[in-house]
Amino acid sequence: MNGAVHPDELLPWYANGTLAGAELEAVEAHVRGCARCRAEVELLGELREKVKQSAPIAVPDEVGLQRLLREARRSRLAHPHRWLRPALAAAVAAIVVQAALIGWLWTTRAPVMEPLGEGTPAGVVLQVRFDPAAPEARIRAFLQDHDAVVIDGPSALGVYRVRLRGVRTGESEAAARALAEFRAGRGVVVQAELQ
Amino acid sequence: MSAGAAADEAILLAGIARGREQDLAEFYRRYHGRVYAFLLRKIGDAADAAEAANEVMMEVWRSAARFEGRSRPLTWVLGIAQHKAVDRVRRRPADRASGEALDAERLEDTNAGAMDLLARKQDAKRVRRCLEQLSEAHRAVVHLAFFEDLGYAEIAAILDCPEGTVKTRMFHAKQGLKRCLGRLPD
Repeated sequence: MNGAVHPDELLPWYANGTLAGAELEAVEAHVRGCARCRAEVELLGELREKVKQSAPIAVPDEVGLQRLLREARRSRLAHPHRWLRPALAAAVAAIVVQAALIGWLWTTRAPVMEPLGEGTPAGVVLQVRFDPAAPEARIRAFLQDHDAVVIDGPSALGVYRVRLRGVRTGESEAAARALAEFRAGRGVVVQAELQ
Repeated sequence: MSAGAAADEAILLAGIARGREQDLAEFYRRYHGRVYAFLLRKIGDAADAAEAANEVMMEVWRSAARFEGRSRPLTWVLGIAQHKAVDRVRRRPADRASGEALDAERLEDTNAGAMDLLARKQDAKRVRRCLEQLSEAHRAVVHLAFFEDLGYAEIAAILDCPEGTVKTRMFHAKQGLKRCLGRLPD
């Protein structure tokens, strides 16, 4: 490379120290024997120094960082990270399946025929959701009117199990009537189903 | 940057991909200044450059999961900055475009006077004025080569162009700078 062809295109990268391997060896060998290229390398080194000096000195901007973090939080809510998407999809799918199952159980499950043996409390059991706005005294009065007691609950979904002490299992007409009365309990009951 | 530092930053990016805000904050502290400096060189307007730097960091937040470790994090983030700068310059109204930019490729080669002037240690202000006269594409190559000390292959990756184009741009940018420095008054 020491002939007439000067490695002009590579000299900037020789000057910034990023040349490697065969290119570095060839340029180094050429520069050693070429006054023109040595002068050029010196010039490029000078230029490099001035470019560094002329660049803006940006200190970490905490205000800008806080703004970035706020935007990042908003963005995460609007567009979850990719790794979250499958997890979210799975969670949504689980909720949908759960809701469908609960709905199916709620509407189609046949009444449980409880044995009437000794020690087994008598009475049809309802699943009831009370009106969240209903005062306790009103709920209590409603239950007493129907000879009903709360035997379980509330569940995570706010469902109570209520035993109708006056209706024995197998008395389907009485059970249906009681169920209808519970469902008609406006301001007290928002949903009632036979268990 | 050492291989260890690059690996450290790749871990930071993995944390960002998992949504860790503290990793984003650390990445910001390490890179925001360099991203801003690159954008300011390319865009030339401090407010625009600051806005674009914020956009770059948001892009890092959104797409850290796409960082595959095939390049250094610096190369990757400056590649994002390059795209943001191109978008901004494209959207810029025509009257703000740098129509007065020096077309270094049409300049004649340097002369001894210019070299002597530079050899007499031109001050940084004059160099900056001359850099501003270059086209945005030439300015970017000079910045990446002499401010960031990147090799031509990395610069090509950032600017998304062939390595030969980087070398050619640098050659013409250098000629333009020499010419500019030679004709500016003291």
